[in-house]
This record gives sequence, C-alpha cells and structure tokens, in this order.
Amino acid sequence: MSAPRPLSLLCELTYRCNLQCAYCYNPLDLDAYRDELDTAAWERVLGEAAALGVVQVHFSGGEPTLRKDLPQLVARASALGCYTNLITQGTFLDDRALAALVAAGLDHVQISIQAPEEALADEIAGTKVHARKLEAMRRVLASDLALTLNCVLHRANADLIGDVIAFAERCGVAKLELASVQFYGWAFRNRAALIPTREQVERGAAIVAAERQRLRDTLEIAYVLPDYFGTRPKPCMHGWGRAFMTVAPNGRVLPCPAAASIATLRFDNVRDRPLAEIWENGEAFAAYRGTAWMPEPCASCERRETDWGGCRCQAFALAGDAGATDPACELSPQHAVVVALRDGDPAAVPVPRRHKSLAGA
Amino acid sequence: MDADVPAFARGVRLKRQAGGAILLVPEGIVTLNPTAAAALALVDGTRTVGEIAATLGDGGFAAPDGEIARDVRDLFARLRARHLLR
Repeated sequence: MSAPRPLSLLCELTYRCNLQCAYCYNPLDLDAYRDELDTAAWERVLGEAAALGVVQVHFSGGEPTLRKDLPQLVARASALGCYTNLITQGTFLDDRALAALVAAGLDHVQISIQAPEEALADEIAGTKVHARKLEAMRRVLASDLALTLNCVLHRANADLIGDVIAFAERCGVAKLELASVQFYGWAFRNRAALIPTREQVERGAAIVAAERQRLRDTLEIAYVLPDYFGTRPKPCMHGWGRAFMTVAPNGRVLPCPAAASIATLRFDNVRDRPLAEIWENGEAFAAYRGTAWMPEPCASCERRETDWGGCRCQAFALAGDAGATDPACELSPQHAVVVALRDGDPAAVPVPRRHKSLAGA
Repeated sequence: MDADVPAFARGVRLKRQAGGAILLVPEGIVTLNPTAAAALALVDGTRTVGEIAATLGDGGFAAPDGEIARDVRDLFARLRARHLLR
C-alpha cells in the first residue's frame, strides 16, 4: 500500500537522564544509543520531516534538555512551521534555559512529576528533584508557554490520584495528564512491582470522573486506563506507520518509541537513508502498516481501523510475535497472559534505573 | 454567546496549508472542515462570535446565514469545552 503522510515526529534527542525512575520506558541497552546524532544531523532530519508533511515535533528523551543544542533544534523546527513540544522532567529548566527555548519559538512544555508530595516524589525519582521541578513549573506558568503537567501512575502512587489532581489545581495548570504506567523497556522488567491493583484502577477512574466534572472549566484531565485492565487494546500510534514516527538518539527511525524492542524487525537509520525513503519503503514501517498484515480476530474485526490491532511491541513482548493481535484485547487467543499479569506481585520491589553518566557523546 | 470574543488557548495554533487549515494542539492535530477553518481564521482576540458568523454569512458559503451562524456557535462552544479556545 502507499504510505500516508506523517504528521508528527518524536525526536528522542538522548537517553541520558539524571533520574532513576523504575518505570522508564527507554530501551534496556542504552550503550547502543551513546553515539548520538549531532546537531547538523538533527537539523537535516527536521528539514526532511517537514518536507514529508510533519507539522508537529516533540522533543523528548531521556532528558532532552541535557542536549546543549536543544534551543537551536527547536528554532529550526519552528522556522519550518512546525508546532514544537518539549517533554521534560524539568530539573534543568532554569531561567536561562527557558528564555532560550521561548526565544526559539517553543509552543508547549510538558513537565512530569513523580508524586504530589516531595518525599515520595524524590523516592520514586531516586534523587532529590521535586523542588526543582516545582520551580520549573512556576517559571513556565509565568511565561507565555502552554504547560501540561504529567504524572505516571503505578502501584506506589496510584492511591494519590486525587492528590495529584489537587496539586495540579493548586499550581494553576490548565492541563493534567495522568498516564498509567506502560510496560516497555526498563518498565517491562518491573511490571510485577509497578502494576496497580484492580482496586486502585477502579477507584482512580471514579475519582477522575468526579474531578473532571468539578473542574471542567479550569482543568482538563487526560486519563487513560491501563490497558492490562481493559477489554480492547489501545490504538497504538493510531496505526503503525500511519501518522507518527520516532527518531532515536542514534538515528534509528522507529514506528513507535518502544519499537526497538521488537527483535524481529530491522530499523533503518537516518545516517544511511533519507527519511522519506525510510518512511515510505523502510522494512519496519511496511511490516505492519495498514490492515493487510492482520491475523484473525483482527482481520475481520469491525474495530480494525479503530484499534489497529493494538500495540505491536506488546504483541512481541507478551505473545512472542509482533504480528499477533495485542494480547490486551480480550479477543486475543493470548489474552490469558495479560489477565495473569494483572495481579502483579505484592512483594516485588521495583528496580530503579541508574544511568551510568550524564556526559554527552 | 454572540458577544463573546474567542481567542486561542495557550499552546493552540491554527496552521494553514495546502488542502485546508488544521489546528495544532499540544497532543495532536485537529482537522477542520472548510467552515470551521474559515471561522477560526477570523479568530484574532478582537472579533466577536457574532461578527465572525456575520462575516462568514457574506463569504459565499452555500448555506443560509442562519445555518452558518448556528454552525459557528456550535463550533466555538465545542472548542471551548475542549479548552482549545478561551
């Protein structure tokens, strides 16, 4: 089939990070990503992406503000007419860094917190950072930039979902994203310790529903239920190779940020081929684009262009086949695997992700 | 409602491109039909909803003025509920 136009590019500038979150979804083998694209290569990628039709560029990581050339790359994307979004944990967003990003034309910042109170937040981050994040949030709120506050929910903080909402309300943010932990990369190995209990999930959904109503004029709350507890899979990337692509720090081009975990696929690199060729004809993008690859029950499912078969990475991780129906779907022959994982392990302790060094390539 | 002066919320941008305009928002893209694109192109923080509807009524859309005004009011109400307009 012919390739649609990509609309959105995620630039994972680096996987370096000063936090140690056990739910990190970056890949396990970080040494493979130490040889980061340089500024000129990223500028070329941005130009090629805009020419392909990309109108939205997300800068993420790791911690993207560890790249000294971030303002330059934001300015480049902005000059190309793209909407620019920075996804950061905020600990390096001082006055100078923020001013440089504003001058570069940044449109939106997403800052994540680990919990609504300092002691637990710092414990989850594995280092003392919560206070610095609050300062960064205040700084962004005082600027003209739009801000979304993000909090990843897992067993250790899911009971505090109401406090996270109250925290967002107190801070005066207009948008809060409550992100249920997803089991990719480092987080996959910690899933028995991270997965919330069914009680936490149900209580959380009820609190969100009530708070959305109470705060409907002031705070927008995005909340996606953890898909291990659902009956239908998440429509990952709204279709593989349909609108979205990721460039990893080492230049590999991925149909989704977690796709590198699929050992059966070969991914092209922007160092070797133009982005347009990779998007249109690359083996990894072609593999699961559209619906022709789908097995049953997806192939004849009326939701095949709604769910898009769910998540390829999850199919690979849980069913051993990236071309299988996502086991999160209750119609999947492997759904029992997900049901068994719902229970987690109350005794499991999450293993923090300790990065080797912050130094650049 | 007609006297309201709509403005884009922080972080929301209208982008004109070949094949029509789209709305760029923090987590994605909102595609717009031609009437919505024309209405949002008139959002400048000074025009009222009533003025925008009236301008579009004169703008050659193949629909009666009353219908356009209703569509425009609906559009602004929906985008405001989604926090895309202030």
